[in-house]
Amino acid sequence: MVNDGGQLYTIEGVSAGLIMLLTAYFVLNSTSIYTPGDSHINDMQLEVLGYDALLMMNTPANNTMVKSPLQEIVEQDDGQRFKTMFMNLTNNKTGSTTDRLQFSANYTYRIQTASTQNATASAFLSSSRPYTEGEHAVRVTKWVIVDKQLGSSPVHNRAVLVEVLLWRDA
Amino acid sequence: MTQDSGNLSIDFLVGFTIFILAFIGVATMIPGILIDLNAHGVDYDAVAYRSGVILVEDPGEPSSDLNSWETFNDMQKPNITRFGLALSRDTPNILSQEKVDRFFCTTFVYPDDYHQKVIFGDYPYQFNISLLDPDNNLTRSVGDIIPPNHGYIRRLVKIKGPSNATIGASYIEAHHYYYDNSPSDNVSTHVFSILLNNTYLLNAVKDPSYQINPQKEQIMINITDLRSTIKNQANPQLINITLAKVEVYRRDLNPLGTYQLDLMRTFDTPRIDGNSTPQLPPVSVKDNVTLLFNDPHFISQFRAQDTSLYINLTFNLDQPGTFLNNSFSSPFNYDYSSANVTQPSLRNAAVEVSVW
Amino acid sequence: MNEDAQWIIMMGFLVSFSFFFLAMVINQSTVVGQTTAESVSEFPKNDIRDTRDAILWSVNNGTDTDWVQRDMSAISLSRRDAVVGFSTFTSIDHEFVYIHFNNGVTSYNENWTIL
Repeated sequence: MVNDGGQLYTIEGVSAGLIMLLTAYFVLNSTSIYTPGDSHINDMQLEVLGYDALLMMNTPANNTMVKSPLQEIVEQDDGQRFKTMFMNLTNNKTGSTTDRLQFSANYTYRIQTASTQNATASAFLSSSRPYTEGEHAVRVTKWVIVDKQLGSSPVHNRAVLVEVLLWRDA
Repeated sequence: MTQDSGNLSIDFLVGFTIFILAFIGVATMIPGILIDLNAHGVDYDAVAYRSGVILVEDPGEPSSDLNSWETFNDMQKPNITRFGLALSRDTPNILSQEKVDRFFCTTFVYPDDYHQKVIFGDYPYQFNISLLDPDNNLTRSVGDIIPPNHGYIRRLVKIKGPSNATIGASYIEAHHYYYDNSPSDNVSTHVFSILLNNTYLLNAVKDPSYQINPQKEQIMINITDLRSTIKNQANPQLINITLAKVEVYRRDLNPLGTYQLDLMRTFDTPRIDGNSTPQLPPVSVKDNVTLLFNDPHFISQFRAQDTSLYINLTFNLDQPGTFLNNSFSSPFNYDYSSANVTQPSLRNAAVEVSVW
Repeated sequence: MNEDAQWIIMMGFLVSFSFFFLAMVINQSTVVGQTTAESVSEFPKNDIRDTRDAILWSVNNGTDTDWVQRDMSAISLSRRDAVVGFSTFTSIDHEFVYIHFNNGVTSYNENWTIL
């Protein structure tokens, strides 16, 4: 049989070491908590805001306007008007401070040639500045029906998807 | 003499190892408890998002054409199940001005009424709901001051403005709304008629965002330059004009199968000469009359959705003469032509909901 | 073997296990916010509404639905990872639009009557 006379001393020593390690760990880890939910909430808020902005741009202000502002912008490739409207809608807040949202927009259309029926291509529409820094970006899209000549097809009723990449500056 | 070798038995070591592994798992979670965290704190954003959707994309409950929550008075508050500012189920993000006005009306109590009808849930969240209306330079809000740590959502919306019609000198001339200056036409009682053809108004434009619906929305008719229609007097300013009455008629089918006009009731609150206080007819008029139908119950009480309403203004002059009168031609049609009526237009706004 | 402190040590273990359970429960509460925001982004409410609005606008305003339908199917598949299709058919006095949307997780079908 093993001589177990000094067991208690061993246990005491191990426990003491453990307690010291544990305390050090608690102290160092309590300074920050990683909440994995954070980035998703911000993304969701940005997405909702971006979609609302595109929806407002695609609604004519009254009955007499046949086409919505967004339809006219895509038909005329008016990037400046898109930028003004979009930045205005998304960055104005209560109080005096404005938000720091930036965007980059393009629209996607279908190409129809002799060989391909379902290929798509994108055309650049507008951007506030090149995407170099900032927080995580979200993509919002909106369908727009326009009368436009796209690719090699003649002027026709086409459906076009306007895509906007939206992010907040750091 | 004891030999203190300090050896540990195997079964103790095994047990201790298992215990240590379990304890390490717990220890990684301890820092989470040391920070003051309650479960309600993490879902402020979720509650704010949900309240934002309810306000902006839902018309509220009840919200049928005949029975809508913004027309309920304070006694009927318990019948409102849910607030919602959208014009209808099919028009999310388009808000109704009447619903916005009623929502921010101070007769609803913060926080109880709003908590039961917008925020929902058992936990007593505090909140602040704000509406920014930059075109009118207006910010309306209900709720407390916002603390630093809160859940937040911002929705972009459009608010539907009211329609109105202005009948002025040039319009009257163009449509010849006055008797000619011949002696047989000089009378002292003149009637001007305005037509609200609901069958046409509700069917020509079905989209609620652009529809003129007198049963639910405000309409306004301004009649100006009345003295310019007095053509046969040397000095029109000396004539006394009296607005005798404003009557509302409904076009009904009678048992013989023909149409007749039935008098419903009088309209007792015209605004005279730019005065914002309504005055009960008969009242003397200098130059203009404004009919503002901003009480949702007034026109809807006639149940005239499938027929037409005629609003007749009767003017008395103290001497016979020409005056604004369309009883021999056609009534002024409050319709979708922008030459006649300024159409309802949508203006940009934003709704912000903060919850904590 | 000296087994005098057995009960005390076992009580200690019991306390630590109950502590562990509590810590687990409170720790999981931080995950609540994530799941809610994730599920909001995952359900394609805006996608479906947008697709439906575009299709109904196209049908109501007399555009060439043939071209629009091919455009929407091709672009939806390549950019939104969703299968979208619609077709119109007329019966005696009504026109119907059948709308189909499927993004792999959520499927939406609707029969809309144009009066």
